[in-house]
Amino acid sequence: MRDMMASQRTFQCRDLEEALREESPELMAALEVHAKSCTACEQELLVWREISVAAQEMKKEWSSPTLWPRIAQGLKEEAAKPKTWRTWFAMPGGIPLVRWQLALAAALLLMISGMSGWLMLHRAARIAPDNQHLLTDQAVRDVEKAQQAYEQSIDKLAALAQPKLDSAATPLMMNYREKLELLNAAIADCRTNLAQNQANAYLRRQLLGFYQEKERTLQDVLQGE
Amino acid sequence: MQFEGTLSWQGAVQEFGLSRPDDPALVRSREEARAEDSLLADACRSGAVDAYERLYQLQGARMKSIAMNLLGNAHDAEDVVQETFLKVHRGIHHFKGQSAFSTWVYRILLNSCYDARRRRIRHPETSEQDLVEEGETYETPTKGSNHPLRLTLEKCVAALTPHLRSVFLLYEVEGFKHSEIGNILGVSEMASKNALYQAKRKLRDMLTERGGASAVAGGRDA
Repeated sequence: MRDMMASQRTFQCRDLEEALREESPELMAALEVHAKSCTACEQELLVWREISVAAQEMKKEWSSPTLWPRIAQGLKEEAAKPKTWRTWFAMPGGIPLVRWQLALAAALLLMISGMSGWLMLHRAARIAPDNQHLLTDQAVRDVEKAQQAYEQSIDKLAALAQPKLDSAATPLMMNYREKLELLNAAIADCRTNLAQNQANAYLRRQLLGFYQEKERTLQDVLQGE
Repeated sequence: MQFEGTLSWQGAVQEFGLSRPDDPALVRSREEARAEDSLLADACRSGAVDAYERLYQLQGARMKSIAMNLLGNAHDAEDVVQETFLKVHRGIHHFKGQSAFSTWVYRILLNSCYDARRRRIRHPETSEQDLVEEGETYETPTKGSNHPLRLTLEKCVAALTPHLRSVFLLYEVEGFKHSEIGNILGVSEMASKNALYQAKRKLRDMLTERGGASAVAGGRDA
């Protein structure tokens, strides 16, 4: 109670954000008191609450008499299907014999691939210890060059699609815009990571994937109405 | 049936759901609720269809509402709810009980909704038909009376990023707690609070641009 009174006495406009973010009873009570003498905060609080009230009306209710029968039918069909190896493996009991054999096979496979990898790496290092670094650098430069050309072509595509995205009026076009924003953010993140490790093939593949997705999306935007 | 004889969850989970602590309907303690949730998970794990029916009775309406708000039409929403039940059935053995069973189910539901949205984006030819339906089903009956801001708010919510939209819908529309939202979306409680704040700020800005919020606030003022 003392805390509440203290916060009521000291509440200022700059505390508004914290109050709305935290929504703690003490801060909200203090905000309400403050709002009585501050029009700006009062308006903000009013809009904030209207959003919450209107949001409660967004709850959807409709009867779906056929939905449960459909689900039940689907569940029965699922249950009738023969179990896959994944299911058996995932089951807590599983089949002990199969699990034991699979585990042994996996361990052997891991050992063989590990040994092969070790041998290959050491053999490669013996053959060309000095050229290895140069070859990697050259490969990275080639990839960078190809990537730049690809990016430029996508930028051209983006420039063509931009007017359509700017005037997006349909939910579909807004979805495209949102997706492209997400892709651009992902590309920027990926590029930042790549700048720290240029020879990382995984990041390069990921970046390529993002660009391809962006290209497809831009094409969809240009083809869409 | 062996399941019916060995498990007594059916009566025990009458009122169990995900509600805020100040909800007057919540009369059971958290421990009891957890135990009931666990019983329902075990029952579903046993594969009994009536366990899934109970899950549907408890969470189906809320699942449909979330899916409808994320996908925009009742047809897709029902499809996704059905898909979620099948995924729960297929993946129940992976559920380790680290979170509430219902939280896990909602996580699958949300992922299924986003998969459905992605499919729609990839196949615009089918989504055109969906959009026609979307326009029609925006008028799906809502709970209570129509708030003057509802339709505008729905459009603004649809323009939020997927994460902000999910947090807003789960908290403000469906009444989940931030801790539950954190578990569903795999984020911290604080991150959920921050996302809700950001979502509401963006909505306020969008509504102000459209004249919606200012009109409501102005109306109240007058």
